[in-house]
Amino acid sequence: MKYFDRLHPVSALAYFLSMLLIAMLTMHPVIISVCYLSGIIFCGMLTGYKNLLKSLAYSLPLTVIIAVTNPLFSHRGETILFFLNDNPVTQESILYGVFASLMLMSVFYWCKNYSAVMTSDKFIYLFGRIIPKLSLVLSLILAFIPKMKRKFREIDEAQKALGIYASKSYVDKIRSKMRVLSILLTDSLENSVETADSMRARGYGLKHRTSYALYRFGLSDGLFLAATLALAAADVVLIIFGASSFNFYPALSAVGFSALPCALYVCIALLGFMSFFAEVKENVLWRLLKSKI
Amino acid sequence: MALIEIKNLTFTYNGAEEPALSDINLTVESGDFVLLFGESGCGKTTLLRLIKKQLRPSGTQKGEILFNGQPVENMDERASVSEIGYVMQDPENQTVTDKVWHELAFGLESLGEKTDVIRRRVAEICGFFGIGGWYGKKTSELSGGQKQLLSLASVMVMNPSVLILDEPTAQLDPIAASEFISSVKKINEELGVTVIVAEHRLEEVYPAASKVVLMDRAKIFMCDSPREVGRRLSEEEKPHKLSLGLPAAVRLFNELGGKGECPLTVNEGKKYISGNFRCAVKRLETEQPDVTGEKALEISGGYFRYERDLPDVLSGLDLTVYSNEILCILGANGAGKTTLLRVLSGVKRLYKGKYRVWGKKLKEYSGNSLYRGNIACLPQNPRNLFVKNTVRSDLYEVTKLLGLNKEDGEKEVDEVCRKTGIGRLCGSHPYDLSGGERQKAALAKILLMKPRILLLDEPTKGLDAYSKREFAEILHALKSEGKTVVIVTHDVEFAASYADRCAMFFDGQIVSEAGRVEFFATNSYYTTAAARMTRPMYENAVTVELAAELCRLNGRGGDEA
Repeated sequence: MKYFDRLHPVSALAYFLSMLLIAMLTMHPVIISVCYLSGIIFCGMLTGYKNLLKSLAYSLPLTVIIAVTNPLFSHRGETILFFLNDNPVTQESILYGVFASLMLMSVFYWCKNYSAVMTSDKFIYLFGRIIPKLSLVLSLILAFIPKMKRKFREIDEAQKALGIYASKSYVDKIRSKMRVLSILLTDSLENSVETADSMRARGYGLKHRTSYALYRFGLSDGLFLAATLALAAADVVLIIFGASSFNFYPALSAVGFSALPCALYVCIALLGFMSFFAEVKENVLWRLLKSKI
Repeated sequence: MALIEIKNLTFTYNGAEEPALSDINLTVESGDFVLLFGESGCGKTTLLRLIKKQLRPSGTQKGEILFNGQPVENMDERASVSEIGYVMQDPENQTVTDKVWHELAFGLESLGEKTDVIRRRVAEICGFFGIGGWYGKKTSELSGGQKQLLSLASVMVMNPSVLILDEPTAQLDPIAASEFISSVKKINEELGVTVIVAEHRLEEVYPAASKVVLMDRAKIFMCDSPREVGRRLSEEEKPHKLSLGLPAAVRLFNELGGKGECPLTVNEGKKYISGNFRCAVKRLETEQPDVTGEKALEISGGYFRYERDLPDVLSGLDLTVYSNEILCILGANGAGKTTLLRVLSGVKRLYKGKYRVWGKKLKEYSGNSLYRGNIACLPQNPRNLFVKNTVRSDLYEVTKLLGLNKEDGEKEVDEVCRKTGIGRLCGSHPYDLSGGERQKAALAKILLMKPRILLLDEPTKGLDAYSKREFAEILHALKSEGKTVVIVTHDVEFAASYADRCAMFFDGQIVSEAGRVEFFATNSYYTTAAARMTRPMYENAVTVELAAELCRLNGRGGDEA
């Protein structure tokens, strides 16, 4: 993921939020399919297609299970296919189940993409824009957790090899862990005094602290953000004007192919696959440049 | 005008009776490299902290500390932050943020610099230290040595004119320590930054210093150039306690009565010996280690790895520890020494191979019988052992857990306190002890378990030379009681002086093992400064004492004679 790696966190965040919003806004089959497909394709781009296949191996069966569950409980709809335990199973409720689970999965994959792109650095940076203190606190915590984990393991082993509580009884095990936690707490407090000294020695607490960021908002970030916002706004407006009206119950309504719905599909497809094509463009450019060398 | 001027400084901590510093006078010129040296607890840290306004301890101060002619306590906060850089001992605790880039930017952020300025300065500092490759890394992924270098860089990024370092290499392995010291030297030489460093490990810093300050019990005992200090110490009537920690060349010079110019480095030491002493007698007869005893621990063909997909840490390891010996296992950092100790202590199990304790398989030790009265392990950080608020109550707690009644418990505690010589520390909080004292208190604690085998992980880390010797004396006393001691360390000087046998651990195996003298005499690189210095004139002078003995045996003379 070269493009999204370099993309400014604000643009990236705007993009993911718009995708999540649109994925959850309607139950329109075309929209859901587009969100789902663009989500998994981009996921493959970010995490590698091998990993995508692995995750699909889990998520596809899950999709089927959710899709099957709906008709078991919902018997609405006109077209009865067969009876199960004297309950009607309808075509509408099966399709509703399928699209509901696809919607869930597209949200899942877009969240997965979000977490692949938005590393702690970017997350902290975004928060730092709003509350600068908070971003530092987050950074301190993220530095602290691995330290605590390692410390806990060290102390646990030290206590174990001391042999006071090495027996197999559960009471002893709990007591031993309590001991470890108590040592961990004292030790961390003691260490944090030194950490505080180190912060003060480097001027923490002086007035007018700035917060340094790795990211610069460049032209391409601006373009990407503008495109995202324009497309997302267009989608929302079109949805509000009813371009996405679709009913599963009592009978399936026809998928609209007039001007308004088509405009909506195009906008959503553009938005959804924009990320993928941005990465593809980056790859192609790289190949081209390389071939010139 | 001097950069830092300390005049008649006496400092007493709140609530303390004795002053921590008394009557200190010291002048530091711009560009100096000042080495502070003294036993732990002699007031080095107090002195260093008093110079930095943000870290000044509370207490009463008489006399003054002037920075550019101005008392430090009146300095502008900002100026004190940026002008005086301060690096502390523990790399873990002084890295504050989660990412390397943020750590580097931290000080400049505090000073309120603009993003563009920070970006430029951070880039410059990465270039200077060659740490650009870590820029995006998490700090938790760095090794101890890398973290300490990062601490140094994140202080240097503020462009200080003085750099104060308080035992910066105490927690590092020898290789990382010498890398760190060469960075400090580079800062001093190439940037002209004044350096004040407190250190115990002197082999590399000592020759680089322009001024050496010896401190003893809150006072400055001697302050001179390295060569002069070496010469003046040799003129002392009986060898001074502090001379133990000096570089091998200086110590040898002292031992031999010191005539002429004092050598500082291994190379100079070599010239000093070949120029002044004959080398008719090449080697001393040394006793061979006794390996006829019972086998206390025995691993044959041991394999261990942490996870299925990870490489083997121990691969085909064969190791025998005989009862009643002190065995040092040496090896580079990250070679898996601590893992080996974990296996020996039974915390981790081999997946292939045999491990026997006193000839019995581990499985035959049910419950905690492996630990009670048998094996005890002293972890690398002794703080991991202490639970209570005072040393005594901490020790006493163990006896209670062992099910002893009050009287017997007291007796046991008194006994281990006597053995380890920590009687006077009993009332202190374990965290308030100095490194050496803490190590002894931890040893006392594991001795309460009445182990027959002691496993020690890096026990000399951060200790000054004198504490090391005291610790070694305790170990020898324990050995004479019939205990077996296994030490995992990278402190070659300690192993060469105090072990019975040494073994080299590399690539998951023991690649060589021998009695300490033979072991270090056959190694050419991984050996003591004394051995490197006396070669090729002498063959087995692995400690300064042995070297001095050989020199005396041969008598003065040398190339010219």
